[in-house]
Amino acid sequence: MDAMNRRRFLQLVGFGAGMTALASCGGGSDGTAIRYAWWGDTIRQQKYTAALDAFIRQNPGIEVRPEFADYDAYQERITVQTAGRDVPDIFWIPSPQVMSYHDAGLYRRLDDIGSLDLSAFSAAQLESYKIDGELNTLPRSVLTAAVRYNQTFLDEAGAQLPPDDPQSWTWDGLSEFLIDYARDAPEGRKAIHHNAYGDLNFEAWLRQHGQDLWSADGRMGFDVATLAEWFEWWEVLRRAGATTSLSEQEGPSPEWDVVGDKVLITFGNSNHIADEAPMFPDYEFGLRLMPVLPDAAAGHRFGYLSRLAVYQGIDDDKLDAAGRLVHFNINDPAFLQIVGLSVGAPANPRMLQAAYSVANDDEKKMLAVVEQEMAQEQKPRYEAPPGSGTWRTIMGRGIEEVALGRASVSDAAARVIADIDRELGRAS
Amino acid sequence: MTQDTLVRPVAQSPPPRPPRRGMPSFRRQGRAAHVFLLPFLLGLVLVTAVPLLASLYLSFTDYDLLHDPELIGLENFRRMAEDQRFWASVGVTLKYVLVSVPLQLAFALLLAVVLDKGMRGLALYRSAFYLPSLLGSSVAVAILWRQLFGHEGLVNGVLGWFGIEGESWLQNPDTALSTLVVLNVWTFGSPMIIFLAGLRQIPEELYEAARVDGAGRVRQFWSVTVPLLTPIVFFNLVLQTIGAFQAFTQAHVISEGQGGPLDSTLFYTLYLYQQGFNSFNMGYASAMAWVLLLVIAVVTAGHFLLSKYWVFYGDER
Repeated sequence: MDAMNRRRFLQLVGFGAGMTALASCGGGSDGTAIRYAWWGDTIRQQKYTAALDAFIRQNPGIEVRPEFADYDAYQERITVQTAGRDVPDIFWIPSPQVMSYHDAGLYRRLDDIGSLDLSAFSAAQLESYKIDGELNTLPRSVLTAAVRYNQTFLDEAGAQLPPDDPQSWTWDGLSEFLIDYARDAPEGRKAIHHNAYGDLNFEAWLRQHGQDLWSADGRMGFDVATLAEWFEWWEVLRRAGATTSLSEQEGPSPEWDVVGDKVLITFGNSNHIADEAPMFPDYEFGLRLMPVLPDAAAGHRFGYLSRLAVYQGIDDDKLDAAGRLVHFNINDPAFLQIVGLSVGAPANPRMLQAAYSVANDDEKKMLAVVEQEMAQEQKPRYEAPPGSGTWRTIMGRGIEEVALGRASVSDAAARVIADIDRELGRAS
Repeated sequence: MTQDTLVRPVAQSPPPRPPRRGMPSFRRQGRAAHVFLLPFLLGLVLVTAVPLLASLYLSFTDYDLLHDPELIGLENFRRMAEDQRFWASVGVTLKYVLVSVPLQLAFALLLAVVLDKGMRGLALYRSAFYLPSLLGSSVAVAILWRQLFGHEGLVNGVLGWFGIEGESWLQNPDTALSTLVVLNVWTFGSPMIIFLAGLRQIPEELYEAARVDGAGRVRQFWSVTVPLLTPIVFFNLVLQTIGAFQAFTQAHVISEGQGGPLDSTLFYTLYLYQQGFNSFNMGYASAMAWVLLLVIAVVTAGHFLLSKYWVFYGDER
């Protein structure tokens, strides 16, 4: 370079880069600006934004910077932010990433933050929330697997579900009922939508069979035979014409607005009723626990804890504000009044009781089901290990193979197991 | 008598300025140029060159974005050879390129020839036909495609008038890719505009001479239009082939990021994306990206090598 000496050029480049960096900082922080990241749909985004605004009004001097995204985009963004060491101060944890984020050292311990009151939780509860012996995440909510049914359709058909007792409310009993209903169902109506893809429902199936989704040592907790039985349970219904086809429901993981008025029953998460029932206001929906095997394994009941965390790298001078915001999330009934219950039942026992006063009829059904499930004996449940993030994608392919007649139940199950195992192996 | 000679006074140019101390003027200009180039250079270095080199480095590492990259040599490239989904994505992409690019170019050329002839409202038609090109790779159009080809979509609605009950075109592994091909053909506006510009360059005398020789319209098209348009066909072919290899958005939106059903829409770039951002195998994804770069480079070079056999430039004898 002769038209300009190198030193000057590099100075210019450095100056430019510095200005770029400054410009990207955009406003800077006063030391109490907290970044809060969550996922969901537009309605949830609006509700949580309103809740964060309420928090700011209650806590002058604390600024909250919302970082919202769709569920899939959220995971991608957090991962990229992790790579850039630019993680939000408080963030929700997607179920497949609990151990991956832990493994990456994203979680800060929570029991030493003075502004975060944990007194509403029992010692046993707090112990059960720990990961690797440290309280570094807290549950925002509890979800359970559930069966949602359309009471309006039942009434139209003059039908009743099998009684809700261990002798009648079984997988076989439900299957017979669904096939029976489908025989006389009105044109365009099916008994159930094909939902072998439902993760909590599949997990309920596994635990009743004495297996688990994930094991304590971060491996798969289930085998080919049990997965094949799960596929077969759905195949019996599909062949009998009791389920919507993948074509009718546009894939193995349908949107509720596509199938909501086509089916009597759906498997899903307990909290889905909060957002999905209002999509069809003319129908009345009911909620039940999953059916049970006659010889179901002891302690098969479980609740999925949807967690949040504080970033390990948070500045110390922000810790008090972050603690206040987490406290607001998990302890303050005012928060519930704003955001509602679309994310599930509160894990905090005090908040759970307070939730009944803000819940609508459908949400009350959800709270009751969660309380019913959580009141029963539960063997330990293990979080998704690193490398398990794509297991549902793999599962979806297996479901397609079977439902589209491209593979036998046993071949598809074996392939799913092998593929998930390979993914786990790569991450270990 | 002395003749006075008129002598034109010599124009006195001002004496040259003594050179200023310091930099000569070209150096001053050079400095100014560098200052003006700085934003571009910064962009080139920070946004293009550094990420490019970083991805090259990452292609030789095991990198999950959450931990530091670990050098593993050629393992990512070796892994591709035994990765069934990798080969599935290669197959899907090749099918897409080989079918959609020729169809799109043929359709664009056909429309360009029709629009090249004078007709009322020509500008309006051109704009209308170009519009899908602006929207074609957008999320909105991909969603629209789901509405069209879904189980209860418009296409099945029309088929229903004739008593044909259709399945969801998007949920059938045998037809899902075809809907994406149709979507790509539908975005023919960009090559069409370039064909139109090329058609305007063909001298009218050649058509007149052909007519004098008794050539009909079809003969004129094959003997005059096509040969003289081959440079434009070549240009469009190269551009559209590169674009088709990189197709991503449509498949991502239509298959909800899965590439289904049964990997029938698993484009190479979509699988690359899944590896990078769903499985967090960023090293493997980087290696895939470099393989794609090399493949596109080889295919493009092949186009150029073969062009001497079929591309006719007007100044050639």
